[in-house]
Order: sequence, then C-alpha cells, then structure tokens
Amino acid sequence: MPRRRRLLILAALALAAETARAVDLPVSDRTLANGLRVLVHEDHSAPVVSSYVFYRSGSRNETNGQTGIAHLFEHMMFNGGKKYGPGMFDDLIEGNGGSTNGFTTKDLTAYLNNFPREALPLVLDLESDRMANLAITKSNLEQERGIVMEERRLRIDNQVVGAMTEELSLAAFVRSPYRWNTCGFMEDLERITLDQARAYFRTYYAPNNAVLVLAGDVAPDAAFALAERYFGRIPRRPPPAPVDGREPPQEGPRRAVVHKAAELPAILMGWRGVRVADEDRAVLDVLERLLGDGDSSRLELDLVREHEVATETSVDNSWTIDPELFTIYAQAAPGKTPEALEARIEAVLRDLAEKPVPPDELAKAKTRLRADLVRSLKTVSGKANRIGFAEVVFGDYHAFGRVESEWEKVGPEDVRRVVGKYLGPEQKTVVTLDPVRPGGSKP
Amino acid sequence: MTAVLALLLALAGPAAAGEFRLPPVTRVTLENGLRLVVAEQREVPLVEMQLVVGAGSAQDPPGDEGVAALTARALTRGAGARSAVELARAIESLGGEVSAGAGTDGTIIGAEFLAEDFARGLGLVRDVVVEPRFEKDEVRRARDDQVSTILATLEQPSAVADKCFGAFLYGNHPYGRPTDGRIATVRDLGRGDVRDFYERWYRPNNTIMVLVGAVSPDEAVAAVRQAFGAWKAHPDALPVRVPPPAPVTARRVLLVDKPDATQTQIRFGNVSLKRSDPDYLVASVGNTILGGGFTSRLIEELRIKRSLTYGAWSMFNARLLGGDFRVGTFTKSPTTVETLRLALSVEGDFRTTPPDAKGLDKAKAYLRGQFPLRLESPEALAARLAELEFHGLPQDELTTYESRVRAVGAADVAAVAARRMPAPGEVAIVVVGKAAELKAPLEEAFGAVSTVPAAECDDPSRLAR
Repeated sequence: MPRRRRLLILAALALAAETARAVDLPVSDRTLANGLRVLVHEDHSAPVVSSYVFYRSGSRNETNGQTGIAHLFEHMMFNGGKKYGPGMFDDLIEGNGGSTNGFTTKDLTAYLNNFPREALPLVLDLESDRMANLAITKSNLEQERGIVMEERRLRIDNQVVGAMTEELSLAAFVRSPYRWNTCGFMEDLERITLDQARAYFRTYYAPNNAVLVLAGDVAPDAAFALAERYFGRIPRRPPPAPVDGREPPQEGPRRAVVHKAAELPAILMGWRGVRVADEDRAVLDVLERLLGDGDSSRLELDLVREHEVATETSVDNSWTIDPELFTIYAQAAPGKTPEALEARIEAVLRDLAEKPVPPDELAKAKTRLRADLVRSLKTVSGKANRIGFAEVVFGDYHAFGRVESEWEKVGPEDVRRVVGKYLGPEQKTVVTLDPVRPGGSKP
Repeated sequence: MTAVLALLLALAGPAAAGEFRLPPVTRVTLENGLRLVVAEQREVPLVEMQLVVGAGSAQDPPGDEGVAALTARALTRGAGARSAVELARAIESLGGEVSAGAGTDGTIIGAEFLAEDFARGLGLVRDVVVEPRFEKDEVRRARDDQVSTILATLEQPSAVADKCFGAFLYGNHPYGRPTDGRIATVRDLGRGDVRDFYERWYRPNNTIMVLVGAVSPDEAVAAVRQAFGAWKAHPDALPVRVPPPAPVTARRVLLVDKPDATQTQIRFGNVSLKRSDPDYLVASVGNTILGGGFTSRLIEELRIKRSLTYGAWSMFNARLLGGDFRVGTFTKSPTTVETLRLALSVEGDFRTTPPDAKGLDKAKAYLRGQFPLRLESPEALAARLAELEFHGLPQDELTTYESRVRAVGAADVAAVAARRMPAPGEVAIVVVGKAAELKAPLEEAFGAVSTVPAAECDDPSRLAR
C-alpha cells in the first residue's frame, strides 16, 4: 500500500464514441480434456515469450491453523519435480536466457517466466513437471518454512504499513478468509506439516484448477499443440470445495491501534467493498481515482495542500473474488495527529456524498483509469498477467475488454450513491499508527 | 536557426521476422548545447521523454545538502502560466505524468504522454524545465515534504541500510551525502537556494534530452527545437567533477541501532569502478554469477542451503566518477553474525576462484536472453539511451551488447573480480538491527564496532570511517 508511482499512458481515448477502446488484447483460448485452460496472445514485436501458470488458490483457500500455506507453496514449487530435480528449475530457466518468479495473492498463486522464444518447449516441460509431480519432502518443507518466516519478518513485522494492513483486515473481517494476510501467521508457519502440504498440493495443483497464459512471439496453434503435449497427460482431479466468504453485517465503526517505532503517525481506513463482478465495482474504481490518484486528486488537495495534515495519501480498490476492503491511507505531517487525518478524510467523503462531481473531474478520473490499463500492457509479461488475472478473478478473460465501457457509464449520481452506500462513517474500520520511540516513550 | 550538428545513426537494418532489433537512434545537438537523442518505437502509442541535467547532490554546496533534491521537487510545483494545482490538473487530465528527482551526479525529469498529446505534453515539460515558478510557498511545501521523506525513510530498515552504507563508505566525498540531504540542512533551505541551484546548473549545455516513442525523429527534433531553442546556455553550467572516492583500506563495522527490529539488514562492500570503466561489462557478468540472478552463489549458500534469508544480492553501483561494489542481505536477529560471516566468505571465495564453465555460460545466457526484455518498454529504452549519453559510452554499446557478453571468458571474470570486488578484510560493513542483542556478538566476530542511532547515520562527519 505504499504510494504507487504511476507512469501514465493512454491509447486511443474514447471521448465520444463508446465503441472505441484503449485496450485491444486479442486472445485465442482452448480447454484441454483434463480441464487446463490455455490462453494465447500473439505479439511478434520481439522474439520473446512470457508464460504464466495461474492456480485458482490463494490465501482465500486457506483455513485457520494453516494460514500461509498458499504462499509457502509458491516457494515449494521451485524445488523440483520428477524429471527435473532440486535446483534445476531456476538453473535451466536462467541458463536459457529466461527469468522466473512467482507471487501469491488472496485469490490466486501465479508462476511466471519471461524468456527467448526458443525456450518455450523447455519452459512448458518444466511447468508441467512440477504441476504433475512436485517433490514435497521434509527437507524442502523445512528449507522453505524458514524462508517464508523471514519474508513475513520483512514485509509485516518490520514494516509499519505492512503491520497496519494486517491489523486492518483482522479488525474489519470476522469470518472471511480475507481477514488474514497472504504471509500467514508465524504460529501457523511454524506448524504446517508434510501431510498438510501434500493434501494442499493434491487439492489445488490440478490442471482443472489452473490457467496457462502465453503472450509474445508464438502462434496460437503451435502453443495449443505444445500445451497438449506437455500438460495433456496430467489427470484431472476432483474440484476443490468452494470458499464461503460471507461476512456478518458490520454494526458501527471498528478501531485498532498499531504500536510501533515510527517517526510519523499514520492512519489506514477500510470499508467493505464489493466483489469484482459487482456492478458497483466500476464506480468504486472511479472513486479510487477521484480521491487519491495524482496531485490534483481530492485527498491530496484537501489533506496535503489545503489543510497540510498529511504528507501523502493513497487509495486502493482491490479487484477480488469476494468483497475486499476499499482503503485510504494517509501519513501525518510532522506534529499532526491521526484524529486530524480522519476528520479531513471524513469531510472529503461527506462532500462527495453530498455534491455531484464536476464533469471534467469525472472525466479526468476515467482517463487515469484507462491510462493505467494501457500502461499495464507495455510488456508481454504485463499482457499475460492481465489476461490470466481476468480469467481467474473475473472468471472470464473477456471481462477485461468490458472494464472500459463499465467505467464510461459511471455518472456523477453513481458516485454520490456509492459513497453513501459503502463509505459511510458507520461502516469504517480504522487502524491508527501510534509511534513508539526507542525506550517506549512517545515522540 | 538550424541545427549546428545532426548525427544520424542508422543502427538497424531491415529486421528479419522475430529477430530482436533496436530502433534507429538519431542524435542532434542544438545550438544552445542541448543534446537530443530520439528513437522511434511504435509498439505502444506513447511518447516517453527523459531529460538529464548534469548536476545532482554532488553539486550541493557544503551546508546546503539536499538543495539539488529540493530543486527537483519544486520544479513541478507550478511553471509558466500555471500554478501548482493548475499544472497538476493539466498533466493529469491528459493521463500523462511528469516527475523530477535528483540523483548523485544528475537530475532526471521524466514524462510520458499519449503520442497524440505529444505537442501539449512537450509544452508542459518545457514549462517545467525552462520556466519553473519556484513560488515561495511552493518551495516551502516541497521542503516540508523532503523533511517528511527523510523521517519516513527511517521506518524502512532496508532504506536505512542503503543510506547508512553510502555515508559510511564514502565519508566526506560528495557521494557520501544522502541525496535528500539531512534534516538539519534541509530545514534552512529556501527559495533563494533553489533559484541559485537552478540558474547555475539547469542549462541546455548541461542537459541531455531523450525521446522514445510513437513519433518520427524529424517531427521530434523540430518540436524540441521549437520548444527549447530559446533556452539560454551558460558557460559555468558544466560541473567541475571532483576526484573519485577513495576505498577503505581495512574492515570497518558500523552498527545502526533499531531497537524494535526483529530482523537485521546487512550491507558490505568497498569503492569500485565507474560506469564508463572498460571493466564494467565483465564485472556485470561476474556479478550475475555471484549475486545477480536467482541462481547466484549468494542465494544458493544463504537462502537455499541454509534458509538464513529471503533475499541476498550483490551489485556494482557504478556512477560517473567512481562507484561501489556491495553485497546486501537480511536475516533474523539471532543469525546475524552467521549470515554476515557466510556472505563475506562467499564473496571472498568468488574473487579468488575462477568461475566454472557451466556457471559462466548460464550467466551469459541469462544476460543475453533478458536483454530484449529489459528494453521492451519506452521508458526502459529511454533510460538506457540517456545512460549512454550521460556516461559518454560508445554509441554502439547496445547493438554490440550481446556479442560482447558472448566473448567474456572465465579468465576475464576472474581477473576483474580480483580487481573490482573487495577482499573481505577490506570492506565497510553496515548492520541495521537491535544493537542490544547484536553489539557483543559482532565485536567478538569482527573486532571494534561503532554504534549509532538510525537517525544519525546520514551525517558522514559523525561516522568514524
């Protein structure tokens, strides 16, 4: 949640005609007999290919006592299968000019490789080997356990905003698996067993729970043939149990305080938003930009410029399968308090709930959304990522082609309605950072 | 008036299908000395502009540390006919972005606009670079922002480690200054300091401008000449560069206290080559084996074999006058000494043992394979072209890259590693963590350790080097 640097760009802006879209991302798709989805985008501008394998499981699919197992698996997946032993995955990818990585979110786990096109058969062989036959051994588990615990110390325990983000979800959600962080709790990471790891792999790392995306210098027919050759024999498995992400209603505001060594107080506020497929998501996207995108956004003008209570602000509306939080973060200017930040944030929201947004301001927010969409497609890796994300989180990659027209339809009245419906003072959860100086004293 | 010098370099022949080709690069120097570099790239309908002004924190006057950074921060807060808010609205309504930030030897102004907005975008960039307003209240805001940034950095252990390492290694050399300055120096800066810095250094004869994107070179050159042609040169604008930094000659350990930390950040290294050094390419191949990719020796020993860390890396931080080689990692507090010892020995072994053929081939294949991927976006290509120009590198640096990597042999790597990577007994070591737990074990392992609070490590004069 730290401030995101936005390099903004924009293609063919649809000012009047709703049909013209900034994004045109043609995709060929096929589903193998074992259920593996294969999506291909051709781009011959350079002799490179990007591959992503998305598994439809993230921390959302975890249960109490096993939090962090999805992310632990992201690490386990680099330790060898049957044909390719320990260490060979990274060695072969890099030795053939490629780079490789993985990431875990609340909704999914993804594995990506960016490489010269000649390496495509090798990459698919490696990916299918670990999907079919990952080596899950005592020594692999112990090795990665230590590393993910170190990663948690890095991202949550020794990072102020990371710690605040964890507290916010824990306070805002009661029974949804979105309440815990993808890093998981240290107490769970210490205890995950080999049997639990094997069961997790059997349940979620199946071809019918995965999406393979290829973007770059590759023809769809050749890609489908290669996918069939390397993944076709992996057996389908029973589908995982659906996740129940329902939450009891929130009655009134909730608060939590993080006590950590820090120089400046800060506030992180969250309101339960909507799932990605909800029709109000596009309105919340626009609100995210109206409030927090750029030096001429509402929060920057009010908190940073006019009242000088904050040094920086940021706003996030996540695109997630179940309803996640719409969040606002602000770091206090020296000498200012979290209470002052909260009062100004509330005032800005109240204003949006009461007065219609001027047309040019609304247009600016939409322009910025479209610009970021195009920006995410500058590289073949960015394209493959977006296609797979849409397939897994929206449930259909075609949804990606519809987001622009969804934004276009948002009017001033929608903004007013949605602020009132989701971002009211009774629906908020507030985490404040109470800076503690060395020795326990306050600044 | 017309161009004094126009240099057209047709680097690319007709591209065979699926072959990686860089776009042709056009280089023109305007009469006022502005060096313009243009590459046409039409994959995305964007134009990326990057200007490099040849002055950064190394040009901060003593006592005014942070003024280069403050000048860059204030640059985009009102320019030409527009106030700060009007300028932000104009840029953001186009979906564009303009940003400015100072480094050590230079200041970069970056901008990106839709190709169809090229003329309007260029006009806004021109206002920012040639006609910044530097209104008193805006400079004050920029200064407050800079102070807050310095404070906020203290909350990020990794950033603290990098900053303290720079101060500890380079000492009183200009490279030892934190780019943002120190709170004590920034607080006293005002509009006059910013104006002076700007007037002195922001001149066309001290500036490189790179344009990459969906615009033809002819159109780009004409538009830039129109926008920047009247910008006045000044003979004093070219910085007199100071001598390169001196290396440390013995092992020195600095412990930076973060009493609440449960994880320790570690950095060590010494002064090494500058970017234009002929050893740079071989050094980068060697660095890839030691600590560059994900199969590096450091990752293998620290992460994979022992689970001591999530990350470990090494790098040549090669700058204009000199630079450093550094190793970085982090670990939980109790394994600090073990991790540091091991990282030192991995680095020490590497510089005394030639790499095996397999490791070398893998590193070379990795660098060559990633080369096109690292130039894929317009801003990445623009940054590389600006780097060539700024460091005075050969103009065929990019087109010959792959063949030069291919030619690197094990003996080359061994010789350069021995020369350019420090012996483990001659390094500056910075450890950021809980001093109460770390001081005794560090002293037992490495001898004398000086300890400072995190907030004080940005002042080189207070760090016994």
